[in-house]
Amino acid sequence: MEDFERELRQALERRPAPPSLKRKLMERRSRQRAERWRGHVLLWQRLAAGAVLAAVLAGAVVWRHAEQRRMGEAAREQVFTALRITGHALDQMRAQLEAHDQDAQE
Amino acid sequence: MAGEWQPDFEQLVDEHQSMVFSLALRMTGDRGLAEEIAQDVFLELDRHLGKIESPLHALFWLRRVAMSRSADALRRRRVRGVDLWVEMGENHGVQAEERSSPLGTRLELLLAALPEPQRAALVLRYQEDLTPEEIAAMLGTPLATVKSHLQRGLKLLRAKAESRLKEYIRGA
Repeated sequence: MEDFERELRQALERRPAPPSLKRKLMERRSRQRAERWRGHVLLWQRLAAGAVLAAVLAGAVVWRHAEQRRMGEAAREQVFTALRITGHALDQMRAQLEAHDQDAQE
Repeated sequence: MAGEWQPDFEQLVDEHQSMVFSLALRMTGDRGLAEEIAQDVFLELDRHLGKIESPLHALFWLRRVAMSRSADALRRRRVRGVDLWVEMGENHGVQAEERSSPLGTRLELLLAALPEPQRAALVLRYQEDLTPEEIAAMLGTPLATVKSHLQRGLKLLRAKAESRLKEYIRGA
Protein backbone atom coordinates (compact mmCIF):
# COMPACT_ATOMS: atom_id res chain seq x y z
CA MET A 1 0.00 0.00 0.00
CA GLU A 2 2.81 2.41 0.87
CA ASP A 3 4.56 1.83 -2.47
CA PHE A 4 1.33 2.35 -4.35
CA GLU A 5 0.55 5.52 -2.42
CA ARG A 6 4.06 6.78 -3.09
CA GLU A 7 3.60 6.14 -6.81
CA LEU A 8 0.26 7.88 -6.68
CA ARG A 9 1.75 10.87 -4.88
CA GLN A 10 4.46 11.11 -7.54
CA ALA A 11 1.92 10.74 -10.33
CA LEU A 12 -0.14 13.54 -8.81
CA GLU A 13 2.61 16.10 -8.48
CA ARG A 14 1.42 19.52 -9.48
CA ARG A 15 1.69 20.22 -13.19
CA PRO A 16 3.12 23.56 -14.28
CA ALA A 17 0.42 25.87 -15.57
CA PRO A 18 0.56 26.70 -19.28
CA PRO A 19 2.83 29.71 -19.87
CA SER A 20 -0.05 31.53 -21.55
CA LEU A 21 -2.37 31.20 -18.55
CA LYS A 22 -1.19 34.28 -16.69
CA ARG A 23 -1.13 36.45 -19.83
CA LYS A 24 -4.66 35.42 -20.85
CA LEU A 25 -5.83 35.85 -17.26
CA MET A 26 -4.43 39.37 -17.00
CA GLU A 27 -6.00 40.29 -20.37
CA ARG A 28 -9.41 38.98 -19.23
CA ARG A 29 -8.98 40.83 -15.94
CA SER A 30 -8.25 44.10 -17.76
CA ARG A 31 -11.28 43.58 -20.02
CA GLN A 32 -13.54 42.77 -17.07
CA ARG A 33 -12.28 45.79 -15.13
CA ALA A 34 -12.92 48.03 -18.15
CA GLU A 35 -16.43 46.55 -18.51
CA ARG A 36 -17.08 46.99 -14.79
CA TRP A 37 -15.86 50.61 -15.04
CA ARG A 38 -18.16 51.23 -18.01
CA GLY A 39 -20.96 49.60 -16.04
CA HIS A 40 -20.28 51.90 -13.08
CA VAL A 41 -20.18 54.95 -15.32
CA LEU A 42 -23.44 53.91 -16.96
CA LEU A 43 -25.01 53.29 -13.56
CA TRP A 44 -23.94 56.72 -12.29
CA GLN A 45 -25.18 58.35 -15.49
CA ARG A 46 -28.55 56.69 -15.03
CA LEU A 47 -28.64 57.66 -11.37
CA ALA A 48 -27.75 61.27 -12.26
CA ALA A 49 -30.38 61.35 -15.01
CA GLY A 50 -32.92 59.91 -12.56
CA ALA A 51 -31.98 62.49 -9.93
CA VAL A 52 -32.35 65.34 -12.47
CA LEU A 53 -35.71 63.99 -13.61
CA ALA A 54 -36.88 63.63 -10.01
CA ALA A 55 -35.72 67.20 -9.26
CA VAL A 56 -37.57 68.53 -12.33
CA LEU A 57 -40.74 66.66 -11.36
CA ALA A 58 -40.48 67.82 -7.74
CA GLY A 59 -39.89 71.39 -8.97
CA ALA A 60 -42.92 71.17 -11.22
CA VAL A 61 -45.08 69.89 -8.36
CA VAL A 62 -43.85 72.63 -6.02
CA TRP A 63 -44.35 75.29 -8.72
CA ARG A 64 -47.87 74.02 -9.46
CA HIS A 65 -48.71 74.01 -5.78
CA ALA A 66 -47.36 77.57 -5.36
CA GLU A 67 -49.20 78.68 -8.50
CA GLN A 68 -52.49 77.23 -7.24
CA ARG A 69 -51.93 78.93 -3.92
CA ARG A 70 -51.18 82.23 -5.63
CA MET A 71 -54.32 81.93 -7.76
CA GLY A 72 -56.36 81.10 -4.66
CA GLU A 73 -54.97 84.17 -2.92
CA ALA A 74 -55.82 86.32 -5.95
CA ALA A 75 -59.36 84.92 -6.06
CA ARG A 76 -59.74 85.55 -2.34
CA GLU A 77 -58.52 89.13 -2.85
CA GLN A 78 -61.04 89.58 -5.69
CA VAL A 79 -63.86 88.26 -3.51
CA PHE A 80 -62.86 90.63 -0.70
CA THR A 81 -62.70 93.55 -3.16
CA ALA A 82 -66.12 92.62 -4.52
CA LEU A 83 -67.48 92.39 -0.97
CA ARG A 84 -65.92 95.75 -0.11
CA ILE A 85 -67.47 97.31 -3.24
CA THR A 86 -70.83 95.72 -2.46
CA GLY A 87 -70.61 96.89 1.17
CA HIS A 88 -69.73 100.37 0.03
CA ALA A 89 -72.65 100.39 -2.46
CA LEU A 90 -75.02 99.13 0.23
CA ASP A 91 -73.78 101.82 2.64
CA GLN A 92 -74.44 104.49 -0.01
CA MET A 93 -77.86 103.07 -0.71
CA ARG A 94 -78.67 102.94 3.00
CA ALA A 95 -77.51 106.59 3.37
CA GLN A 96 -79.69 107.63 0.41
CA LEU A 97 -82.67 105.75 1.86
CA GLU A 98 -82.16 107.43 5.25
CA ALA A 99 -81.92 110.79 3.55
CA HIS A 100 -85.08 110.04 1.61
CA ASP A 101 -86.91 108.98 4.80
CA GLN A 102 -85.87 112.21 6.57
CA ASP A 103 -87.11 114.26 3.60
CA ALA A 104 -90.41 112.36 3.71
CA GLN A 105 -90.88 113.00 7.45
CA GLU A 106 -90.14 116.72 7.07
CA MET B 1 -1.37 40.82 12.30
CA ALA B 2 -3.45 39.05 9.64
CA GLY B 3 -5.44 42.23 9.00
CA GLU B 4 -2.30 44.01 7.80
CA TRP B 5 -1.65 41.49 5.01
CA GLN B 6 -2.28 43.10 1.64
CA PRO B 7 -3.08 40.56 -1.08
CA ASP B 8 -1.19 41.08 -4.32
CA PHE B 9 -3.19 39.55 -7.16
CA GLU B 10 -0.28 38.94 -9.52
CA GLN B 11 1.80 37.41 -6.76
CA LEU B 12 -1.08 35.09 -5.83
CA VAL B 13 -1.39 34.06 -9.49
CA ASP B 14 2.35 33.36 -9.70
CA GLU B 15 2.30 31.34 -6.50
CA HIS B 16 -0.83 29.29 -7.04
CA GLN B 17 -1.48 28.97 -10.77
CA SER B 18 0.05 25.52 -11.02
CA MET B 19 -1.96 24.31 -8.00
CA VAL B 20 -5.26 25.63 -9.38
CA PHE B 21 -4.51 24.40 -12.90
CA SER B 22 -3.48 20.93 -11.66
CA LEU B 23 -6.62 20.55 -9.53
CA ALA B 24 -8.82 21.52 -12.46
CA LEU B 25 -6.87 19.31 -14.86
CA ARG B 26 -7.12 16.26 -12.62
CA MET B 27 -10.79 16.81 -11.97
CA THR B 28 -11.80 17.49 -15.57
CA GLY B 29 -9.06 15.74 -17.56
CA ASP B 30 -9.08 18.49 -20.17
CA ARG B 31 -6.19 20.92 -20.42
CA GLY B 32 -8.17 23.59 -22.25
CA LEU B 33 -11.04 23.40 -19.82
CA ALA B 34 -8.64 23.33 -16.88
CA GLU B 35 -6.98 26.51 -18.11
CA GLU B 36 -10.35 28.17 -18.50
CA ILE B 37 -11.39 27.07 -15.00
CA ALA B 38 -8.11 28.34 -13.56
CA GLN B 39 -8.70 31.74 -15.20
CA ASP B 40 -12.27 31.84 -13.85
CA VAL B 41 -11.07 30.96 -10.36
CA PHE B 42 -8.48 33.73 -10.34
CA LEU B 43 -10.95 36.25 -11.76
CA GLU B 44 -13.33 35.33 -8.96
CA LEU B 45 -10.46 35.76 -6.50
CA ASP B 46 -9.88 39.22 -7.96
CA ARG B 47 -13.50 40.14 -7.21
CA HIS B 48 -13.22 38.79 -3.64
CA LEU B 49 -9.70 40.01 -2.95
CA GLY B 50 -10.88 42.39 -0.22
CA LYS B 51 -12.24 39.50 1.81
CA ILE B 52 -9.04 37.46 1.73
CA GLU B 53 -7.37 37.79 5.11
CA SER B 54 -4.11 35.88 4.85
CA PRO B 55 -1.96 33.78 2.50
CA LEU B 56 -3.40 30.62 4.08
CA HIS B 57 -6.91 31.92 3.57
CA ALA B 58 -6.07 32.60 -0.09
CA LEU B 59 -4.73 29.05 -0.50
CA PHE B 60 -7.80 27.50 1.14
CA TRP B 61 -10.13 29.73 -0.91
CA LEU B 62 -8.39 28.92 -4.20
CA ARG B 63 -8.47 25.17 -3.57
CA ARG B 64 -12.13 25.22 -2.58
CA VAL B 65 -13.23 27.36 -5.54
CA ALA B 66 -11.08 25.36 -7.98
CA MET B 67 -12.75 22.13 -6.82
CA SER B 68 -16.17 23.70 -6.94
CA ARG B 69 -15.70 25.17 -10.44
CA SER B 70 -14.31 21.86 -11.68
CA ALA B 71 -17.35 20.03 -10.30
CA ASP B 72 -19.59 22.56 -12.06
CA ALA B 73 -17.73 22.00 -15.33
CA LEU B 74 -18.08 18.23 -14.99
CA ARG B 75 -21.79 18.63 -14.30
CA ARG B 76 -22.22 20.77 -17.41
CA ARG B 77 -20.23 18.25 -19.40
CA ARG B 78 -22.42 15.38 -18.15
CA VAL B 79 -25.48 17.31 -19.23
CA ARG B 80 -23.93 17.64 -22.68
CA GLY B 81 -23.16 13.90 -22.65
CA VAL B 82 -19.42 14.14 -23.28
CA ASP B 83 -17.48 10.95 -22.54
CA LEU B 84 -14.84 11.90 -19.98
CA TRP B 85 -12.85 8.70 -20.38
CA VAL B 86 -12.39 9.19 -24.12
CA GLU B 87 -11.43 12.86 -23.63
CA MET B 88 -9.01 11.98 -20.85
CA GLY B 89 -7.23 9.56 -23.12
CA GLU B 90 -7.03 12.10 -25.91
CA ASN B 91 -5.97 15.06 -23.82
CA HIS B 92 -3.53 13.28 -21.58
CA GLY B 93 -1.93 11.54 -24.52
CA VAL B 94 -0.56 14.88 -25.62
CA GLN B 95 1.04 15.35 -22.25
CA ALA B 96 2.68 11.96 -22.07
CA GLU B 97 6.10 13.33 -22.98
CA GLU B 98 5.96 15.75 -20.04
CA ARG B 99 5.87 12.90 -17.57
CA SER B 100 9.00 11.21 -16.38
CA SER B 101 7.14 8.08 -15.28
CA PRO B 102 4.90 6.13 -17.66
CA LEU B 103 3.28 4.57 -14.62
CA GLY B 104 2.42 8.03 -13.36
CA THR B 105 0.71 8.86 -16.65
CA ARG B 106 -1.32 5.67 -16.53
CA LEU B 107 -2.23 6.17 -12.89
CA GLU B 108 -3.57 9.60 -13.80
CA LEU B 109 -5.68 8.06 -16.54
CA LEU B 110 -7.04 5.45 -14.17
CA LEU B 111 -7.71 8.12 -11.57
CA ALA B 112 -9.81 9.98 -14.13
CA ALA B 113 -12.10 6.98 -14.41
CA LEU B 114 -12.93 6.99 -10.69
CA PRO B 115 -16.23 8.41 -9.45
CA GLU B 116 -15.96 12.17 -8.95
CA PRO B 117 -16.15 12.26 -5.12
CA GLN B 118 -13.42 9.62 -4.81
CA ARG B 119 -11.29 11.37 -7.40
CA ALA B 120 -11.69 14.70 -5.58
CA ALA B 121 -10.67 13.15 -2.25
CA LEU B 122 -7.64 11.40 -3.77
CA VAL B 123 -6.48 14.49 -5.67
CA LEU B 124 -6.66 16.63 -2.55
CA ARG B 125 -4.96 13.93 -0.49
CA TYR B 126 -2.12 13.03 -2.85
CA GLN B 127 -1.64 16.18 -4.92
CA GLU B 128 -2.22 18.74 -2.21
CA ASP B 129 -1.11 16.54 0.69
CA LEU B 130 -4.16 17.47 2.76
CA THR B 131 -5.33 15.44 5.75
CA PRO B 132 -8.80 13.87 5.65
CA GLU B 133 -9.93 16.52 8.16
CA GLU B 134 -8.73 19.33 5.88
CA ILE B 135 -10.40 17.70 2.88
CA ALA B 136 -13.66 17.40 4.81
CA ALA B 137 -13.48 21.08 5.78
CA MET B 138 -12.69 22.09 2.19
CA LEU B 139 -15.41 20.07 0.51
CA GLY B 140 -17.97 20.63 3.27
CA THR B 141 -18.36 16.87 3.60
CA PRO B 142 -18.47 14.79 6.80
CA LEU B 143 -15.09 13.37 7.79
CA ALA B 144 -16.38 9.79 7.71
CA THR B 145 -17.53 10.29 4.12
CA VAL B 146 -14.14 11.65 3.09
CA LYS B 147 -12.36 8.71 4.74
CA SER B 148 -14.70 6.35 2.97
CA HIS B 149 -14.07 8.06 -0.39
CA LEU B 150 -10.32 7.84 0.19
CA GLN B 151 -10.41 4.16 1.13
CA ARG B 152 -12.77 3.13 -1.66
CA GLY B 153 -10.98 5.30 -4.19
CA LEU B 154 -7.59 3.86 -3.32
CA LYS B 155 -8.96 0.32 -3.37
CA LEU B 156 -10.62 0.83 -6.73
CA LEU B 157 -7.58 2.56 -8.20
CA ARG B 158 -5.30 -0.21 -6.94
CA ALA B 159 -7.60 -2.86 -8.40
CA LYS B 160 -7.64 -1.07 -11.76
CA ALA B 161 -3.89 -0.61 -11.64
CA GLU B 162 -3.30 -4.27 -10.84
CA SER B 163 -5.45 -5.43 -13.71
CA ARG B 164 -4.22 -2.92 -16.31
CA LEU B 165 -0.72 -1.95 -15.26
CA LYS B 166 0.78 -5.27 -14.20
CA GLU B 167 4.03 -4.56 -15.93
CA TYR B 168 4.50 -1.35 -13.96
CA ILE B 169 3.44 -2.39 -10.47
CA ARG B 170 6.37 -3.44 -8.40
CA GLY B 171 6.20 -7.03 -7.39
CA ALA B 172 3.16 -7.73 -9.50
